[in-house]
Amino acid sequence: MREMAVIIQRDLPSVQAALQTSVTPIAAGSPEAAAKPLLELRAVTKSFGPVTALADFEASVAPGEFVTVVGPSGCGKSTLFNIVAGLEEPDAGGILRFEGNSCHAADLLGRVSFMPQQDLLLPWRNVVDNAILALEVEGMPRAEARAKALKMLPEFGLAGFEKQYPHQLSGGMRQRVALMRTFLFERDLMLLDEPFGALDALTRAMMQRWLLDVWQKYRRTILFITHDVDEAIFLGDRVLVMTARPGSVKLEQVVDLPRPRRPEIVTAPEFVRLKRTLLDAIEEESMKSFQSAVAEEKAK
Amino acid sequence: MSAALPSSSLAVQRGVLGAVLLVLCWEGLARGLHLPSYVLPAVSDILAGVWSKRALLSEAAGYTLLEALVGYGLGCLVGIGLAVAITMLPVLRTVILPAATAINAVPVVGYSPLILLWFGIGVVSKMVMVAMAVSFTVFLSTLAGLDRVDRRAVDLMRSFGAGRLSILWRLRLPTALPLLLAGMRVSTVRSVIIAIITEMLGAYGGLGWVIYQAVLQIDFVQVWSAIFVASAASLSFFGLIGLLERKILFWK
Repeated sequence: MREMAVIIQRDLPSVQAALQTSVTPIAAGSPEAAAKPLLELRAVTKSFGPVTALADFEASVAPGEFVTVVGPSGCGKSTLFNIVAGLEEPDAGGILRFEGNSCHAADLLGRVSFMPQQDLLLPWRNVVDNAILALEVEGMPRAEARAKALKMLPEFGLAGFEKQYPHQLSGGMRQRVALMRTFLFERDLMLLDEPFGALDALTRAMMQRWLLDVWQKYRRTILFITHDVDEAIFLGDRVLVMTARPGSVKLEQVVDLPRPRRPEIVTAPEFVRLKRTLLDAIEEESMKSFQSAVAEEKAK
Repeated sequence: MSAALPSSSLAVQRGVLGAVLLVLCWEGLARGLHLPSYVLPAVSDILAGVWSKRALLSEAAGYTLLEALVGYGLGCLVGIGLAVAITMLPVLRTVILPAATAINAVPVVGYSPLILLWFGIGVVSKMVMVAMAVSFTVFLSTLAGLDRVDRRAVDLMRSFGAGRLSILWRLRLPTALPLLLAGMRVSTVRSVIIAIITEMLGAYGGLGWVIYQAVLQIDFVQVWSAIFVASAASLSFFGLIGLLERKILFWK
């Protein structure tokens, strides 16, 4: 309850601001406007032994853009993220470009701020010290990093919680600490892997609105994985629908809904139309992956 | 957190009650049946013995504790060092692990004649024996702790650009701490036992030496007095490390 109150209080000024300013589309939001993509993947393939997780994956992300990725479970979304985070090398033949330069996945280590599905907070570090983990790794003195994090706490709804330890926090707060850790690791590209997947619907809706606020303020480029089509449309400038395994892009849908987006937008006709298009595409792929799973079962 | 305190104080109460009952039974049996002291002296006689020999016993206890503590410290350093080395250089695992296991397949006391021969009858041989016993336990528990690290947390650190040392220091060692400290706690009692046993095999002083001498002099009250002091020393060492463990692992 306490945490909700914090968010609601914090949201009020931004809601007022949103009402006062006229709706301005974000230039970087439309892919046409991007002269030079920040991240580009061409014909990226990744196999693990006999299993091909990604096949000829193509995508590009413009600076400042918010791109969401949806797809049936097991479609290789996490493999995609591991490649872009630099944790796994794709098979030879594909092209990976970052800031216009072709590179190996390993070159991306330390250049992309990555937030995995689990918050992975370290239980022996309090909120502030968890948030500054990446800064510490970079070699910033602790005092300086802590001061920086303390200034950011209110914005993440964590004011007054700096001395708390992860086991004392609710799921939503832990997730915000993890997000703060990701934000403090200031990189142009942020990778968020289902960050709100484990939260209840109410907390999740608030976190989404809050994330948009923070994104608009900091203007980072975000690549965001989710299972939830509503979330993908509500947050994204563009939604990539992935095919069943081996994963590639089935559909690339531009979301031209105005920003800032209000929660009611999910019932607007444009929103519902987009949702239908996306759901149809996902449904088709889910059926495929379901059928292939059944076929595999039978083959056994 | 708050529920743990009353239940642990309840456990303490029960433990004290059990000890008191044991002492009463012991005293009653020894006095009621007029047991000779070489079978079982009464607790009150033993405590009186501890008091009358307090100078001798405290000197012996100091001697033994010095050996146990130095050996313990050395053993912990070696054990943790080896486990960290294996983690940093995985090739070493296939070299160190079988060798360490082979050495420890024999009870440490089995090496005592050799160790006494190499390091003499003084304190050094006891420290070496204790270090051998402690290092293996601490080594195995530290290794298990270091191996328990979450693969995904390692990946997260790597994505921040962290190197092996940084991951070791910020992630692996803290993750290993609970098991490492459990190994250290178990080793406390072992270290005192090994020091005493080695003293019995040849020494210039210490509780083991006192026990051995008392047996030769058929003074069983003194044997028991030394055992009581050894037990108290052992327990307080165990308690101290246990306390430290709870302080360090505040998040558990």
